[in-house]
Amino acid sequence: MNAVAILYLLVAVVTLACAYGVVVAPKLMHSALWLGATFVGMAALFVLLDAEFLAAAQILIYVGAITTMILFGIMLSDIRDLRAPGEGPWWRRLSRLVLSPRRGLLPLLASAGFALALWGIARHAPWPAEAPPPSPDVTGSIGQVLFTDYALPFEVASVLLLVALVGAVVLSMREGVENR
Amino acid sequence: MIPLSWVVTTSAILFGLGLYGALSLRNAVRILMCIELMLNSVNLNLVAFSRYLHPEQPRGLVLAIFIMTVAAAEAAVGLAIFLTIARNRTDIDVDNIRLLKG
Repeated sequence: MNAVAILYLLVAVVTLACAYGVVVAPKLMHSALWLGATFVGMAALFVLLDAEFLAAAQILIYVGAITTMILFGIMLSDIRDLRAPGEGPWWRRLSRLVLSPRRGLLPLLASAGFALALWGIARHAPWPAEAPPPSPDVTGSIGQVLFTDYALPFEVASVLLLVALVGAVVLSMREGVENR
Repeated sequence: MIPLSWVVTTSAILFGLGLYGALSLRNAVRILMCIELMLNSVNLNLVAFSRYLHPEQPRGLVLAIFIMTVAAAEAAVGLAIFLTIARNRTDIDVDNIRLLKG
């Protein structure tokens, strides 16, 4: 157990706590802010796993773009929030969880079962005990692979982004604005 | 170095949290956020496997970049749809949105 592993454990616990906040925060705005904190924690985990380029992309795309977009969407649209599971005293929360099978017990059983199954598979899989030495230039080799072997998926992804951009503009355009 | 099983466990818990939220919540924006959580946990797995199993060929990282692209597109289009729905009705409860139901 070295310093990197302890640091990983700390950051992972904080990230998971932020993710829990996303699910149970009573207010939608707080939920979005917890989501931003979760993304920052994930970027820290990527740095600890020697993926600095992914960490930078995570900060740029998720924290800089997606969280900001969700926050602006919430603020600009006057969405009336629904009752979140984190509202009220704990006994009421617990009774709501047990009494509503479709919204509480069944999702809880499904997600906990899925996570436990993943964990059980991961525990018994024959992973390598020790990580191989890191590649000296990870970012350079990402670019090398991205523009040689994955050139066609890269172009398709750019077209996908263009389609999403046009689609989002068309969807959020008000009716009748094209007549002006 | 970090044991690989720790990373996989973190990712499994994160995916479970996102799945629980996506199944149990009713607000569509919250469900969108929980889907982003699940996609992020997949990215964590890809990064870890790329680092531990094939550090000389970062194909897992490339796949994670594509997942980020798709997640950004999905968030943009999803949020645009929800804002359009929220303009016509006051809430975005997924139980009440049944325009496509015959």
